[in-house]
Amino acid sequence: MASLTAKERVMKLLKGETVDRPPIFSGMGNVIKPVLDKSGIVFSRVHRDPELMAKAAAGMYREFKFECAVVPFDLGVEAEALGARMNFYDGVEGLLYPTVKEKSVTSADDLKIPSDIRNSGRIPIVVNAIKALRRELGNEVAIGTYVLGPFTLAGQIKELDALYEESFLEPEKTGKLLEKLSGFIVEVFKVYREAGADYFTLREMGGTSDVMSPRSFKSLIKPHLKRILSEMPRPSILHICGDTNAIITDMAECGADAVSVDHKNCLAETRQKLGPKAIILGNFDPIKVLHKGAAKDVGHAVIESLNGGANAVWPGCDLWPEVPKENMQALMTALQDVKLKVA
Amino acid sequence: MTGRKGTDPMRLVQVAGWLGSGKTTLIIALAKGLSRKGVKVAILVNEIGAIPVDGRVIQDYGLTVKDIGGGCICCQMAGSMMKTLKLLKEGPDPDIVILEPTGIAVPHAVKEMVLSMATSGDMTLGPTIVLFDTTRAAKLLGYETLQRVVTTQLQDADIIALSKSDAIADDAFAEAGDAVRVINPRAQIVRLSVTNGYGMEALSQAVEDMTVPV
Repeated sequence: MASLTAKERVMKLLKGETVDRPPIFSGMGNVIKPVLDKSGIVFSRVHRDPELMAKAAAGMYREFKFECAVVPFDLGVEAEALGARMNFYDGVEGLLYPTVKEKSVTSADDLKIPSDIRNSGRIPIVVNAIKALRRELGNEVAIGTYVLGPFTLAGQIKELDALYEESFLEPEKTGKLLEKLSGFIVEVFKVYREAGADYFTLREMGGTSDVMSPRSFKSLIKPHLKRILSEMPRPSILHICGDTNAIITDMAECGADAVSVDHKNCLAETRQKLGPKAIILGNFDPIKVLHKGAAKDVGHAVIESLNGGANAVWPGCDLWPEVPKENMQALMTALQDVKLKVA
Repeated sequence: MTGRKGTDPMRLVQVAGWLGSGKTTLIIALAKGLSRKGVKVAILVNEIGAIPVDGRVIQDYGLTVKDIGGGCICCQMAGSMMKTLKLLKEGPDPDIVILEPTGIAVPHAVKEMVLSMATSGDMTLGPTIVLFDTTRAAKLLGYETLQRVVTTQLQDADIIALSKSDAIADDAFAEAGDAVRVINPRAQIVRLSVTNGYGMEALSQAVEDMTVPV
């Protein structure tokens, strides 16, 4: 097969078509310091300025040929649109991700879905960043975006402890909240598609089986994920953190085009449970390997994931921005000189 | 704890436990007691608004209170927490950092997160103290859905503090103790009542001295 462009490689893979080699990309937050430094971008500003956001996302492709451009970078966009107040750590030297400092709801009844989603919170910033990426890189590289899943988003707008206690003891109340959030999530994805995004990751990190029993996942979260994935734009990816092998077939049944798994998963088991046709994205460890590891270990981790059954070189979670330049370069050259079986 | 130099690692102690088990009350009592002994303490919480420490207490006891950001245990949180610990080390440089993750956090996941991000020599790990509210023992261990988190937390504990022990009859207390002992036979079990001061000395001592192998 003739060599594909980065965009063709990613989009073909997500559509289940044959590719020349596994793409090296992500659908989650990925921006690193060398890219920010090169453009003189201050991290706390990148989340609130569409030009800076687009420039930083494009920099991952331009600087390293990482095969995607993904916005946003933080996990608070939807929560802010729903009334939560964020802390961007403006006064803090160094890199800190924005976090929610004031929650906005206690129950489904409090939740007010904005009538004009396009202009709520920082959604227009993400939209304009996607448009800018489309203009600048639209033909070369696939533009990705993500939205939190309903349970994770609920944890961003409602006190986390209260949410978990309620979901365990009064799940019908939590169900109402998730139902309202699910409709909102679909609409946000549609707005991002209109702006020009190519692929869409639904990130339900809070559904992790470290905390939630498989039975609770199945009864409380899965129906909402299924609904969202049936209504949101495609190609779609479902990501859940933690070891998800206990719920991996439920995850697959939610209906995403691909599933993304954390570095805690034994990939061979994931592959065995999902069969040869499933598109599995994962799962090198972005902290232990890419951030803290030595450059020589990066290639080894990548090959291990591919041998385990991953269809792409894809991190188990967000990239921490302090990934050293040489490790990022090692990631991008990991497939050189390796004979791979083309899917 | 006396004689610690600025280059010595900070000691990280985790206080976990289900919502309403008395984590915040215990942390404030521990921090005050340690401060009186001249130990510099920082408290690291998930969400800054979630810990009701008023400015006066912070000032009087020289405490540092920082948040690590809400949300689930994910890579953004791991990185942010380590950045906060680094800033603490470079700034107030406390002897002990007491970490209060959200009530649903499982201590081994938090510990893994710290170890994955820490640079050798930055910090030592003190005990993981898991509070178990003896007045709600049946509920905490009885509901299938709740049981998973509560059991995991107890299994991860170095010390299980049976909290609110002053508010429960002796036989019910003994029953709660037996139940947690089955879940984690290796943990030290402390009978705790912050109100009456039961168990505070033992916990304070463990916070200062108990080092957990990495």
